[in-house]
Amino acid sequence: MAGSALVTQTMSAPAIRVEGFIKRYGKRVAADGLALTVQRGEIYGLVGADGAGKSSLMKAVAGVLAHDGGTVEVFGTVIDSERAAEKVKQRIGFLPQGLGLNLYPDLSIEENVDFFGRLRGVPGAELAERKNMLLGMTRLDAFRSRPMRQLSGGMKQKLGLVCTLIHEPELVILDEPTTGVDPVSRRDFWAILGKLLEEKGITALVSTAYLDEADRFHRVSLFHEGKVMGEGTPAELIARVPGTLALFRAEPQADALPRLKAQFPQTEAMGAWLRVFAEGLAPEQALTAVEASLGTHSPPVGSNSFDHNRRSADRGRINSLPRQADTASLPLVGSNSFDLGWESTDSGRVNSTPRQADTLPPQGCLTQRTIRLSDWFAREPELEDVFVAMLRQRGARLDTSLPADAPAAAPTSTLAIEASGLTRVFGDFRAADAVSFAVPQGEIFGLLGANGAGKTTVIKMLTGILKPSSGAGRVAGADMRSAGLAIKERIGYMSQAFSLYHDLSVVENIRLYAGIYGLDDRRARQRSDWVIGMAGLAGFENDAAGRLPMGLRQRLALGCALVHEPRVLFLDEPTSGVDPIGRRMFWDILFHLSRREGVAILVTTHYMSEAEHCDHLALMFAGRVVADASPEAMKQELITSAGQLLELRVDRPVPAQNALRDAGFANVALHGRAVHLLSRDADTDRERLPALLDKAGIAVQSVGLRPLSMEDVFVQRISALEEAGRRPA
Amino acid sequence: MNNMTNGGLFSVPGLRRLRVMTQKELLQLFRDVALMVFFLYSFTGDIYLAASGVSMQLKNAAIATLDADYSFASRELASRFQPPYFQPAGSVADARQAIRRLDDGDVMAVLDVPPRFQERLQRGEQVSVQLQVDTSNSVLGFLASSYGAQIVGKYALEAAAQREGLAAAGGIAGPLVEADTRVWYNPNQNDAWFMGISELLTVVTLFSILLPAAAMVREKERGTIEQLMVTPLTSFQILFPKVVAMTLVILAGSAIALFGVLGPLFQLPMRGSLVTFFLITALYVFTTAGLGLLAATVARNLAQVGMLTVVILMPMLLLSGAWTPIEAMPPWMRGLAWISPLHYFLDAAYGILLKGVGLDLLWDSVLAMTGLGIIVFAAGMRRFGRQFG
Repeated sequence: MAGSALVTQTMSAPAIRVEGFIKRYGKRVAADGLALTVQRGEIYGLVGADGAGKSSLMKAVAGVLAHDGGTVEVFGTVIDSERAAEKVKQRIGFLPQGLGLNLYPDLSIEENVDFFGRLRGVPGAELAERKNMLLGMTRLDAFRSRPMRQLSGGMKQKLGLVCTLIHEPELVILDEPTTGVDPVSRRDFWAILGKLLEEKGITALVSTAYLDEADRFHRVSLFHEGKVMGEGTPAELIARVPGTLALFRAEPQADALPRLKAQFPQTEAMGAWLRVFAEGLAPEQALTAVEASLGTHSPPVGSNSFDHNRRSADRGRINSLPRQADTASLPLVGSNSFDLGWESTDSGRVNSTPRQADTLPPQGCLTQRTIRLSDWFAREPELEDVFVAMLRQRGARLDTSLPADAPAAAPTSTLAIEASGLTRVFGDFRAADAVSFAVPQGEIFGLLGANGAGKTTVIKMLTGILKPSSGAGRVAGADMRSAGLAIKERIGYMSQAFSLYHDLSVVENIRLYAGIYGLDDRRARQRSDWVIGMAGLAGFENDAAGRLPMGLRQRLALGCALVHEPRVLFLDEPTSGVDPIGRRMFWDILFHLSRREGVAILVTTHYMSEAEHCDHLALMFAGRVVADASPEAMKQELITSAGQLLELRVDRPVPAQNALRDAGFANVALHGRAVHLLSRDADTDRERLPALLDKAGIAVQSVGLRPLSMEDVFVQRISALEEAGRRPA
Repeated sequence: MNNMTNGGLFSVPGLRRLRVMTQKELLQLFRDVALMVFFLYSFTGDIYLAASGVSMQLKNAAIATLDADYSFASRELASRFQPPYFQPAGSVADARQAIRRLDDGDVMAVLDVPPRFQERLQRGEQVSVQLQVDTSNSVLGFLASSYGAQIVGKYALEAAAQREGLAAAGGIAGPLVEADTRVWYNPNQNDAWFMGISELLTVVTLFSILLPAAAMVREKERGTIEQLMVTPLTSFQILFPKVVAMTLVILAGSAIALFGVLGPLFQLPMRGSLVTFFLITALYVFTTAGLGLLAATVARNLAQVGMLTVVILMPMLLLSGAWTPIEAMPPWMRGLAWISPLHYFLDAAYGILLKGVGLDLLWDSVLAMTGLGIIVFAAGMRRFGRQFG
């Protein structure tokens, strides 16, 4: 291996050591005293939202950006000058942020790889050999002569990785390699990266804006506004803020949410469910506290154990949906995995049968309506819950000024959006192909799909920006083709780019849209005050919109889309680049709009974790809707068709992954030091897998069930469809 | 909800939409510091430079003498090449040196006087002198050769008259025709007026294309245009306020140029009605802004707008008659000149500012400009509508 002499020579030094790193851009401080150490052979993650300082640090480590303070050391060499940087550059591979930005669009895959190889002085024979190996591994070898610009986002990113690795660097620095890449390609990318790093013993510094990707790393640093909020293994970080994550239903939900929020700031509505992070409380305490804040005071009923289905007590139930509050509760898919955090204490045993106040007053009781609690599940929190808790400890606030006591919107079956057979053809490309779905008033409807699946095309047809080639759509009761301008007064739209005028102030932006929608001055003032309160923009009224932090900018854009009180709201990728606090506040507002004001909301997102906020989902693939159901129904179906998600912690993950594949498991994925797989017979597999791996010389530290995520659902569905698409071709 | 009706263009909400959109454009423009600096410079500094520096007159052209005669007559002829047109720049020894100094650009002309020049004049023989002129700049070269020919001709006439005994005090006592010219509109033949106005019109044209195109393409780049398409604004309500805002700003710029630069510093007379001038300028800006919007539907980013602006601006200037009279162009180009709005604006602007004429004489230019404006704006709207429809 190249550089093995060097490796032994400087073995003592860590791969990267950063202390007190400061970077300023003009007056803005991008990185404020960052510190971290990356050991050799580690996959180290920098996790944080846009503007948190990840890119500045990575560029400094790669030796392409000068910094204003602190020390950056790579392989024991202090990077403080151009010359020092040159010394280690040959041992580093750097993939900058942005899909294929370092590649040449007009060159073919092969030409790009050759160019980077020659640039790095890789000898011809070696270059050819490595190229074949890397292109084979990334499955790009079938497209060698295709120009880079014709590749999909995922393929561009894989090619970027190949070009970064062609000179066999000892350290690769990958800046947000998975941003903007669809979940299937994203998983693929992690699998390839993990394998390569393991085989070559490479160290990797990788950044991501997706908190749920943190478990792909050995160790991570959580970044927020130029500071490191915490460092350690994902499990260590999660353990830093003890508490219980509870998932349950409460009726009526709109009344339960404000009451819970008063006591648990980290309360979110996820479709029909409520999700509460009870900081510092064990599961039983959490249940008591939630009941107290809801005003339901019934004692725990029954003695069902949280892990009943695992113990095969009543496995049959898993196939029915936890819909009705009167059936014995069914665990939300896979959420009974206490063994990951709580097994040792056994205090996680909570009742999972429905409970309700012993007296049930009629709906609409004037003072305090009783709230029924059902379907209670508790487990250890996720990294995002912990991150938000850390930010709250530092003074971040989650509350918006939305009136908590506004009456809930009367349930209605009026359809707000109806797409029937919407089709749009560009040349011979069908961007949208007979897309049909319906969204009733007051529902949050999610449109999921990879880049290019047709989500934006559908939104554009429904909002009247684009004319459909065939099919029809009715929005707010009007046919969008004939309604013309009238329909536009009833809809609000927020595009991916947040569509604000950056050089106008907050108030000027709001007033502009108020004027465009024809509001008179008095009304414009009222709505402007409402937007400022709702978005938490007080104090920023006269700041230029372009200078606001992402979260505020996003809520201002939402406010501008809401200034005329539309009945239907279209949101195209509304939360990209926003930190978790901003995302939570944003979803709070959407929930308020849908439940209290009865607004129908159509949202597209590539954050699969956000899809769980939606009441209903439609999954798009290649212009078609391939699934249309509630999130829990989709997960349920995945369990039925592919099995439950098992997590194995092992000492050697890559060989374990191979051994499991050989054992016939199709969906094995590497997550940091753990391996995930789908099992049709989770109970048996839990028992037999440790022995199976032991035979291959791999020690299993733990096996447990994990809750399925929407990303699991998405990846399964799309992989199956891609497979089906490949076969006839 | 019910207080919002889409309404017609001139309903209350319709007018409010036009108002807020126009205000928005003005605000955005004033906050673009770089663009405002460029804008102010163009309407002041650039026009000052054009009016004071650029001249199409022959001034102080360096002339060397290759005198092979060394006589009184040869020195007398050479000494007549004087400022303001010429500037004597010494003598050269031989033809090779003469060519070298011309090649170097050291001198613009060389007067070559042959041997026995005086002797042959006095004998009454015909004699030629040679004037070698650098005509890389054809206008200046042409002027130098004709002024030179005039100087030599006058000297020859005087020499002949003297020999024939017709010389009188201060002139020639013989049958002669004197040409007596009256110079109208610009009696001092002050180049600053012509160049200043010409530059002002060029700058007005530049910004009429650039500002709306830049404003439009910025909305495309930022994605705000889609946001506007989703609102109840018609294409007209999106495009027209841009043109209105840019027209106001360009009129303000023209006023600064006229009353801040050309008036006080160059004593431009401004003989006609200024109201008419500004009305016609507004009409012209509207017309040309349509071209800018059309360009913005083609361009993807600001850099492309810049290039398209140059591509549109250059032929407009060339065809307008600002640099060459239309009558001097080949016939096919003359035809094209009729569709350059700048051609009509030029007629009108010189007419009002220098000649003091009014609408009674300019109505045909105004009519042609209006027609062109409507066609171009409609084409811009149509393309915009199709692109986002």
